[in-house]
Amino acid sequence: MPMDAVEPDTPPPATTDDAPRVINTDDGAKDGLAKCARCGATEISLNVATGNLRCGFCRFEWSTDNAIEAFNLNGDIATLTGLLVGSGSSDIVPSTEEILTFKCSACGAEVVIDTNTSTQARCHWCRNTLSMNQQVPNGAVPDMILPFKVEKSTAVEKIAHFVGKRKFFAHPTFRAEFNAENVMGVYLPYMVVDINAHAKLSGQGEHQTRSYTVKVGDSTQQRYDADLYDVAREFDIHVNDLTVESSSDRLDQNTAVNSNNIINTIMPFDVENSVRYDSNYLAGFTSERRDSNLDQLEPLAHTQAEDITRHRVNDTLKFYDRGVRWAAEEVEVRGQRWVSAYLPVWLYSYQQRKSNGKTFLHYVAVNARTGETMGSIPLHQSKLLLVSGVVQLVGTVIGLVLVAVGV
Amino acid sequence: MLNLTLWATESGQIIAAGSSDDDSGGLGLVFLLSGFVFYSAIYFRYRNTDKRHGHESETEATLVNMQEHDEFVKARKGLSNRRMSGANNTAVRGASNKAATGIMSKFKLM
Repeated sequence: MPMDAVEPDTPPPATTDDAPRVINTDDGAKDGLAKCARCGATEISLNVATGNLRCGFCRFEWSTDNAIEAFNLNGDIATLTGLLVGSGSSDIVPSTEEILTFKCSACGAEVVIDTNTSTQARCHWCRNTLSMNQQVPNGAVPDMILPFKVEKSTAVEKIAHFVGKRKFFAHPTFRAEFNAENVMGVYLPYMVVDINAHAKLSGQGEHQTRSYTVKVGDSTQQRYDADLYDVAREFDIHVNDLTVESSSDRLDQNTAVNSNNIINTIMPFDVENSVRYDSNYLAGFTSERRDSNLDQLEPLAHTQAEDITRHRVNDTLKFYDRGVRWAAEEVEVRGQRWVSAYLPVWLYSYQQRKSNGKTFLHYVAVNARTGETMGSIPLHQSKLLLVSGVVQLVGTVIGLVLVAVGV
Repeated sequence: MLNLTLWATESGQIIAAGSSDDDSGGLGLVFLLSGFVFYSAIYFRYRNTDKRHGHESETEATLVNMQEHDEFVKARKGLSNRRMSGANNTAVRGASNKAATGIMSKFKLM
């Protein structure tokens, strides 16, 4: 789709057509050597303890600008109109190659970067690290990045604790092979969305006025009296930092065939602390490229915004203690702001080989900002079925006795 | 196996809901399903297939310029369900993990 570019610090003016307005988030970004300001080395990586970039030679530390402030992303959501997108969120051009060649700005050698897995590479001649910070339309460079905050040792501890509490019914092969030290730090691609919408909901609600028991045959049953009301609500809603996965693999959360829901569960992230994208934050970690465009993600984000609207309005419906049945829900999106981000996850993965020859990838994931941990552990099915059978046997005997005495 | 688990969970919920309306024999029926309930509890504790990000409650949002309209229609007597028929004010439609919304919607009350 055509896009109109604007400067990052000036709010883009509204346009008459439907073309999205773009915030240039790679303004001033350069590919190649990113040197330490004090000693000129390119051995730069994230110091997780401080959240700063640190030079591997002289230990000088510095931080990149906060992305929200740098790109004016915390502007009043109420004034949002139309579609505003970060330049790193623009459509992926299908023909763009994932393998990019750079000319080393130190020695002139040509160095190849596979943007599927990294946006950094080391020059094989002069050993300098080359970074790709300028956005190419293949989803490899996002608008902003949220640095790791939880250290690996903490993540290992959390994963070991999570698995340790689920050992008894875990598959014996998993128990034998489990090693929490195999955790990997991964930056996963997300879209962060602000939405300004106007909502109208109408329907009916019920308020309980009485609860009592009635005798039906030999037993008693519960009955309720309630008052029925016509209910309507109309308001503006400002959704802040709605976060959706922008990798098609991660969006697929069919729990019968994958455990992607585990990674989804550890959200939300404190995206307001994101910084301007700099490849040096990726040193020592892996990353995944965004492969979904705004057009593909917009329906999901809007449906989630409707969910948020429906749930948030419940604060005004406490009187209707039996619930509300909305007959009409209208959420009109008046303005939206989309920014792509890399968010940090510590990921332990385990490929289970089943007896039928199929495999299933289990994850234990730690949110590398909040420490929230969730996981999927391979089950020892025969052991669980055996114990469940014993429980069923004992339960059946007790149940029959209780039914016989009418409890 | 997942379908069996979902079925067992939902059956347990139906039995449990039934017991609130009719006390006789309810506890006994729960014991009769104890094996399925145990299997489901362990399955969810280990595999966590029911878990997802609660975008509807965990995302920051503010409501402004609220206009409310509430008008009494009629009184209803002798209803057998504790929850309003067709109530959808806690529905979730935008979750990628459909299994979670399917299960959790049965447990959600206002």
